[in-house]
Amino acid sequence: MKLDELTKGVFKYNPVFYLVLGLCPLLAVSTRVDNALGMSLGVLFVLVGSNVIISVIKQWIPPEVRIPCFIVVIASFVTIVDLFMHGYAPELHARLGIYVPLIVVNCIIFARAEAFASKNPVSHSLLDGIGMGIGFMFAIVGIASVREVLSTGKMTIFGYTLIPQFTQSPAMVMLLPPGAFLTIASIMALINYKKTMKKEKE
Amino acid sequence: MDNLLAIAVGSIFVHNFVLFRFLGLCPFFGVSKKTSSALGMGVAVVFVMTCASAITWPVYTYLLLPYEIEFMRTVTFILVIAAFVQLVEMVIRKHQPSLYKSLGIYLPLITTNCAVLGVTLVNLEQRYSLIGSVVDGFSAGIGFTLALLLMSGIRERLELAHVPHSFKGLPIAFISAALLALAFMAFTGIRL
Amino acid sequence: MSELKRILSISIPLILICIISGATLALSFDLTKERIREVEERKITESLASIFPDASFRKTGEYYTVLVNGEEIGYAFLAEGQGYSGTIKTMVGLYQNGTLSHIYVVSQLETPGLGTRIIEPEFTNQFSGKRIEDLRLRREGGLIDSITGATISSRAITEIVRTRAEVIRNET
Repeated sequence: MKLDELTKGVFKYNPVFYLVLGLCPLLAVSTRVDNALGMSLGVLFVLVGSNVIISVIKQWIPPEVRIPCFIVVIASFVTIVDLFMHGYAPELHARLGIYVPLIVVNCIIFARAEAFASKNPVSHSLLDGIGMGIGFMFAIVGIASVREVLSTGKMTIFGYTLIPQFTQSPAMVMLLPPGAFLTIASIMALINYKKTMKKEKE
Repeated sequence: MDNLLAIAVGSIFVHNFVLFRFLGLCPFFGVSKKTSSALGMGVAVVFVMTCASAITWPVYTYLLLPYEIEFMRTVTFILVIAAFVQLVEMVIRKHQPSLYKSLGIYLPLITTNCAVLGVTLVNLEQRYSLIGSVVDGFSAGIGFTLALLLMSGIRERLELAHVPHSFKGLPIAFISAALLALAFMAFTGIRL
Repeated sequence: MSELKRILSISIPLILICIISGATLALSFDLTKERIREVEERKITESLASIFPDASFRKTGEYYTVLVNGEEIGYAFLAEGQGYSGTIKTMVGLYQNGTLSHIYVVSQLETPGLGTRIIEPEFTNQFSGKRIEDLRLRREGGLIDSITGATISSRAITEIVRTRAEVIRNET
């Protein structure tokens, strides 16, 4: 039963493909797998942190100032990520640029705070945060892998080569904004196709 | 002195917030089904972005910088934006009920629109002056509205088009966005 | 009275949360402050060393005076401006006779694989030994070859370096 809270975010209610949330960072930093991993770790931390804190303090928050309270909690976690990333992973911090502070307005985090953490006990909210965070990681790393492989003709993560150079004329457009939209469109169409196939079988 | 024309053209076309910086995508796909609602959302966003740029600039320059608490900028900016949006909502509801009816429902959505916080952060990164920031906020809003209107026009026509089953709904919207982004890339060579 | 009570009951939780948040952030700022300063300083020292190896530097206002064996040979300074998709920040070395020694890109957010090639030596080495006036793309009458597929990034960094170098030359 409790495990459901964890796995639903990864597959069944994946925040990106099912709930269509958090698109901005998803498309903006998915040019390379390293960036995507760094970003999703940041999002995971903020998501778990804010879900737990909001779940703990929910009974003391008057409904009128609910939104500002949530925002302050979320923004604090984001600033913590920002500061520590700047100190301990400066290169990643420089590459992600303004998308680190923009985690604040990642709709996944706010939506989970509002729709889940403010109504459920702490343990459930913790699992929900982890599940949604991992679901986001799956999505962004998936999109980043497609884009990196197609646009550079190889894949390297933190200096380790996973796929060696296989073409000298890769599709540069995949790195640019249109490539991001094309990738997510294809993945979503694939998911839709799978769904209809499943329905037809039943 | 900032080159205001360069800022404006840059934010509307070259670095379009939606199609180049990937900011404000949720409303971009959420409210682009109908041209009328796209226009309403656009007007509200232009207004909030312009005001947010005008408010956050003095807050940063006169409050955060002198006390060396720049690290509080994310918390401060988002709170200021949220408070401002809520205030505008209350004022409009009380004094302009008809305007509230048409725009009111978009206002709460704007607080979590990353384009608004995004424009204030871009202003800081580019070290614009107060006027530069306001112009940037205004033109970023116009750029957002432009993209939103184009998108809603396309989507209204897509309703009638014969789309492969798996691509119905969002996937085809993303494909259209890809083509729009491709078209907007033609602006990158502009020099002012 | 009840109105006041209502306002207080709404605002006190928010204020408390803000205070706690401020305190937590101040603490994390203190924890990371030294580290961030070191990171930023290392970037500057590394870029200075890569432009003028075996030299010492003296900070003079906005730029660094470069000394070799106690003798002034040139200046090093940061130039910064808008690239294709973000701010490009680069360290520039200038000899006293007005030719460039070298440039070193400190930070940039250009498109990976295309615009990011402005940091590669094949591109940056072109700046060495050029006069400031020649820092334009070849198609615009200068001596810098742009990177194929990344004309805008190439032009941006060339313009950034030239504009700043002109300012520094007039100051010194």
